[in-house]
Amino acid sequence: MNDQAIQVQDLHKRFGEIQAVQGISFEVQAGQIFSLLGPNGAGKSTTISILSCLLHPTSGDALVMGHSVLREPMAVKAAIGVVPQEIALYEDLSARENLDFWGKMYGMRGAALKQRVDQVLDTVGLADRQKGRVAKFSGGMKRRLNIGIALLHRPQVIIMDEPTVGIDPQTRRNILDSVKELNRQGMTVLYTTHYMEEAQELSDQIAIMDQGKIIAHGTHEELVKIVGEMDRVDLMLNTPAERVIGEWQTTEGVQKVTAQAPDGEEATESSGAVTLLVDDSNLVLPRLFESATRVGVRVTSVEIQEPNLEAVFLHLTGRALRDA
Amino acid sequence: MKTLDIAFKDMLRSSRSLAVWIFGLAVPLLMSGIFYFAFGGMGDGGFDLAVTKVVVVNLDSPVGGFSAGQILANSLKLDSLKSILDVTEAADAASARDAVDRQEAGVAVIIPAGLTAARENPGERAAVELYQDPTLTLGPGIVKGIVSSIVDGFAGSKVAREVVYAQLTQHGLTTDAATATAQAIADQVSKWAEALGQKLQGGVNTLIQVRRPAEAESADLVSNVIGMIMAGMLVFYVFFTGAASAQNLLQEEEDGTLARLFTTPTPTSAVLSGRMIATFGTLILQVVVLLVASALLFGVNWGQPVPIVLVAASMIVLSAAFGLFITSLLKNTRQGGIVYGGVLTMMGMVGMIGIFTAQAPGATRGAFEAVSLLVPQGWAVRGWQMIQAGGGVGDVLVTLLVMLGLAAIFFTAGLLRFRKRFA
Repeated sequence: MNDQAIQVQDLHKRFGEIQAVQGISFEVQAGQIFSLLGPNGAGKSTTISILSCLLHPTSGDALVMGHSVLREPMAVKAAIGVVPQEIALYEDLSARENLDFWGKMYGMRGAALKQRVDQVLDTVGLADRQKGRVAKFSGGMKRRLNIGIALLHRPQVIIMDEPTVGIDPQTRRNILDSVKELNRQGMTVLYTTHYMEEAQELSDQIAIMDQGKIIAHGTHEELVKIVGEMDRVDLMLNTPAERVIGEWQTTEGVQKVTAQAPDGEEATESSGAVTLLVDDSNLVLPRLFESATRVGVRVTSVEIQEPNLEAVFLHLTGRALRDA
Repeated sequence: MKTLDIAFKDMLRSSRSLAVWIFGLAVPLLMSGIFYFAFGGMGDGGFDLAVTKVVVVNLDSPVGGFSAGQILANSLKLDSLKSILDVTEAADAASARDAVDRQEAGVAVIIPAGLTAARENPGERAAVELYQDPTLTLGPGIVKGIVSSIVDGFAGSKVAREVVYAQLTQHGLTTDAATATAQAIADQVSKWAEALGQKLQGGVNTLIQVRRPAEAESADLVSNVIGMIMAGMLVFYVFFTGAASAQNLLQEEEDGTLARLFTTPTPTSAVLSGRMIATFGTLILQVVVLLVASALLFGVNWGQPVPIVLVAASMIVLSAAFGLFITSLLKNTRQGGIVYGGVLTMMGMVGMIGIFTAQAPGATRGAFEAVSLLVPQGWAVRGWQMIQAGGGVGDVLVTLLVMLGLAAIFFTAGLLRFRKRFA
């Protein structure tokens, strides 16, 4: 028996001159939560769109529950439930009317549909607001309904495309808990995110994507081993990093040095933030301070992190995940 | 089945759209209503006149069984006048005038004691008094007209009798014979005057025949003009609805619901077909409501039933297909604002040129009609004009075929573009 829910085989997708997906391959075992982790533009959503049969691959193929996205798109669509990144609901219809309609699009009818709609309304906590127009719902309620629609037909695979983007922490927590609950019920989950913490918390398997390629693939533990015992050290300086970055690149125990930008700003060597991967922070930090002092740079803050996916991405690409 | 589910969902959403109700139904009726009242249309062309209260005091005494005062009083109480005159009687002149002063009556008609005697005796004179509320004009004016017509008749009979009596005595007839003959003639004149007064009050005038020009006799001009304008409004807004309905596809694309639909096991053809059925449903509802409402509210005569159904169906198909085509050319709903606000408005106006130049000289009218047929709206307008003029199926057959041919072209082009877009 084939226990692979998804098999992606040398998938390519080109938009004109842009190669959005460059020959990726991976497999998702049935019952797993599989995360595609990567920055914006890495090719995650394009991959998801191909698996949802919204886009045709330029070459390669993917099988979902044994059905080819190229040759059997209707069978693939029947097997999956898709939670789009943006809320996709009819705001002038009520919650129940939305669920009724989408249920019918999955071929459900009559009493079975009504019963399932009742169940989903309970699951997403909207039973008491089922007759309310979606337009009057809060963002969190819309998110829950957005997920509920994908559950209507009890799909074997649920595909979630960055469902936590732009939402408040409480709703985000609810969504992550929902994903785990769905997985406990036996659903295979393909989850895309650019939040390292989400991938780390949820996933059985993680594929890190960058520039259309999978640059690393495995469990969280396997991925972290890529950076070995290296620590990640974030330093804030009182001057632009360019004055000291050359010194630190040649410092013993330093594996990688990257200029960082404060959140929301572009990373340049002119900014005062630097991230380093070091073998042992206890030994290396004094050397870094010494070098900085020698060139007249003062370190204003230090943060040391244990090895994590952020460090892996930094190690593999030379860029931080959030700034990539 | 999914096609119908999609169509039902789209129609349900349309029914909850205020814009559909306003621009689909209210505005076309409102525009036609404005033209209707601007052209003086008021249903039967008349108006309601307030009832005037009249107090009659008849102080006259009959002479030889004849009472001029009674004839005058009865003339004001005819059934044909009850809708405009409410006549009561008073015992004396003072109480009648008092009723007017207290504004309990609009006018008092005081018939003097010697009215009949004055008619009988050459030397006697009597005057009927009208005492009226100075703030009123129409009611007292009507009373004055009725009273004058009767009194003039009496005066005429008196003159006739005196002339006849004088002529007969001059020619040697005995006095008694001359008096009897003159009296008989005077009585005839009085009866004629009384009868004439009654006919006039009933709206019948055997002395004057009012005729309208021959062309205008065949049809009500106001109804014709409003009918043409309503046809223009109908076509103008139906094409907007067709385009706006198709635009919902773009809106769904932007809202993400279209992409979500395509992640379900629903064929693209079902999505597009459902959208088209919803468009047809919305258009059918709009057309039926506008046709019925305009017939009931403005008395528009759309023509014979079968041609109406055929022209309406062809227009609906054409507007839906044109909407699909023009929307397929748009990238997003922002472009829709420009296209719908500018292009469709311009095309609609061109299509209606034939309506606004209907009274132009033949050659000019022909040129404008030819220009109007450059746009699909012009063909629809032409269809309605033809059946409003009494045309049958045979008369509009070519127009129907052109409309359906254009619809086929637009539908095919639009469908291909959308299928390619959503492939």
